[in-house]
Amino acid sequence: MTGEALIVLENVNKWFGPLHVLQDVDLSVARGEVVVVIGPSGSGKSTLCRAINRLEPINSGTIIFDGQPLPAEGRALARLRSEVGMVFQSFNLFAHKTILQNVMLGPIKVRKEKAAVVRDRAMSLLERVGIANQADKYPAQLSGGQQQRVAIARALAMQPKALLFDEPTSALDPEMVGEVLDVMTSLAKEGMTMVVVTHEMGFARHAADRVVFMADGQLVEQAAPEEFFANPRSDRAKDFLSKILTH
Amino acid sequence: MRFTRVAALATATALTFGMTACGGKDAESGATGTTKTFAAGSTMERLNKAQAIKVGTKFDQPGFGLKGLSGKPEGFDVEVAKIIVKELGIPADKITFVETPSKIREDAIVNNNVDFVVATYTINDKRKERIAFAGPYYEAGQNILVKAADTAITGPDAFKAGDKKVCSVTGSTPAEKIKESVKDVATQVVLFDTYDKCVAALDGGQVDAVTTDNVILLGYIAKNAGKYKLAGPNFTKEPYGIGVKLEDKAFRTFINDTLEKAYADGSWKKAWDGTAGKFGAELGAAPTVNRY
Amino acid sequence: MSVLVDKFDVFAGGFWLTLQICVLAAIGALILGAVVAVLRISPVPPLRALGTAYVTIFRNMPLTVVMFFAAFALPALGSNADFLRIPVLDVVFTRLSTDLPYFRFALIALVLYTAAFVCEALRSGVNAVSPGQAEAARSLGLTFGQNLRYVVLPQSWKASIVPLGSVIIAMIKNSALIGFFGVVGDLSATADQLTGAEGYAFIPVAIGISIGYLIMTVPLGALLDRIEQRQAVAAR
Repeated sequence: MTGEALIVLENVNKWFGPLHVLQDVDLSVARGEVVVVIGPSGSGKSTLCRAINRLEPINSGTIIFDGQPLPAEGRALARLRSEVGMVFQSFNLFAHKTILQNVMLGPIKVRKEKAAVVRDRAMSLLERVGIANQADKYPAQLSGGQQQRVAIARALAMQPKALLFDEPTSALDPEMVGEVLDVMTSLAKEGMTMVVVTHEMGFARHAADRVVFMADGQLVEQAAPEEFFANPRSDRAKDFLSKILTH
Repeated sequence: MRFTRVAALATATALTFGMTACGGKDAESGATGTTKTFAAGSTMERLNKAQAIKVGTKFDQPGFGLKGLSGKPEGFDVEVAKIIVKELGIPADKITFVETPSKIREDAIVNNNVDFVVATYTINDKRKERIAFAGPYYEAGQNILVKAADTAITGPDAFKAGDKKVCSVTGSTPAEKIKESVKDVATQVVLFDTYDKCVAALDGGQVDAVTTDNVILLGYIAKNAGKYKLAGPNFTKEPYGIGVKLEDKAFRTFINDTLEKAYADGSWKKAWDGTAGKFGAELGAAPTVNRY
Repeated sequence: MSVLVDKFDVFAGGFWLTLQICVLAAIGALILGAVVAVLRISPVPPLRALGTAYVTIFRNMPLTVVMFFAAFALPALGSNADFLRIPVLDVVFTRLSTDLPYFRFALIALVLYTAAFVCEALRSGVNAVSPGQAEAARSLGLTFGQNLRYVVLPQSWKASIVPLGSVIIAMIKNSALIGFFGVVGDLSATADQLTGAEGYAFIPVAIGISIGYLIMTVPLGALLDRIEQRQAVAAR
């Protein structure tokens, strides 16, 4: 997996008040690569994910996306965000819009595409995630797993260069986790560049090109999944894995 | 005539100091409680026996009834009240002055909150439906204040063309009166709650004139030498009366008799000179009391 | 109580004038309040500071003082608020274009003061929308303006409408002050005219004035109650 780098973080630092949540983080994600970020809660992995499209501004360091440093707040940043899809833990579907409208809003308002074209693409995306028959319902009428699949379709409708997943299955009932992971796995297989923050070790093991382990704001260890799960090098990774894998 | 709120504050303060020196003390020191004989069952007898009386007056009317730094209301109305109270055989220090702004004067009399009202109270027929008036004890008149250089306005008729604007106080008799002389109330008449604001509007050029009772206007002229003038002679007669209960004819007659006595013995003129007379207003001849 | 019948035209005239200034002030305050609200939630710090300063000043100053500034400081600065002589609009609201500026001054004061409260009512609605909604919109690449227009405001107005209504009701009652600042013939000033100059008893006149204000405020309050009930049902 040695493509040209799409996302590069160098020396990134971030504080929440006195809390140093990202400490000198360096990370490079190649085009087409699937990077899964794991680690105990509070380790800074969500913040890392959100920093990539500047939902969290950083205090120092640089983040480069597709050769360009992240611009400051404004139209240029909006343009960059339109190229980086994001899927949230709590879905965040627009509550006042139907499923179809949720998927169509970005392409029409941001990309100024024609509604008819967008509709076709949106429907085929909904088809793909298995929700086409619910297109005219409102988010509240869908289950969590269905909503999260719509959220993925919404992100895909922008035809992004990369997708960020911020704990996409943590808010789901256990029986719905699988349907979301299935969609993510198929995306990974198709060569989508993905940064996935998750606790789903199964997904990390099977779908990731690389596993990144974070603790206390530091990027402690990174390796191919087989290697990481078989032979974690750091004590903290060993400790973490022993806790989650013994249950 | 009635004025809703305070006139010139500065004038008021100056007046308060003036009156502390002269106006109030004479009447107070001269008054002693005496047992007089009045008709049984009359208001006079009741008040004399009680040796206490409540008088309604303005607390915010320079020259007539103004409660200043001394904490007691002072002015011509207050002095007239003291003359009447003295005649009832009650010492001046037994008077409780109650503030009766224009809105509540009739109600204060009808509801027995006061025994009588001396409060720049213009006698008119509408008011006579609810209360009765003794007096008049002074005849004021409405006039118009303009800038000293103004020669276009010489009287109320100047407003008939519709291009001149005039200011007065909300709900006052002069405000209602001037409405009769303007072409369009909405575009020509401005009303505030105080005359100070009217004078500010005159200075700012939003209005061309301020109208109310001559005594008030003279206060502003005295305070700002050379800046303003009266546009012409008084164009209304505003007889100030003393309000009593509608049915209490005996008390009204008693007050009228007292007023006539005060005209004759000079105490009326003395009361004027120590108070509103300082503005330079003419007292004129004593008005004839109207025993209707 | 005969005054209510005898002087019906005076009450009606006062009611009409108060209604006029309230309608104009409500429109003005809603527009200005929305602008200030956008400033207050803007991502640009200086604009946010401007919005916050506006609300801090006008929400915390007594309306009488604002009125005083409008009626006496504007003329001192040489303005008679002539920009409010809006063509077309002055056919219905005739007081807008008279040479006497006090209706316009009072209108400006009411708008400036009420806009601060409108802003806060709108902002409380925006705060009621989950932050995830705006975040999702941003992550799609919507600009601040698009975010407000397509995502936040369509959801926030429901939470804003009841507090907004309360703000407007308060404004109608606050309009009673205009009579003290040069506007002739509004509903409250008719009380002074009838009791002071024409000698009617105070209580019946006060009852008449009260009826006038209640005619304006009670239906508005009832409407708000209905909206609130409907929202409660919808939320169930």
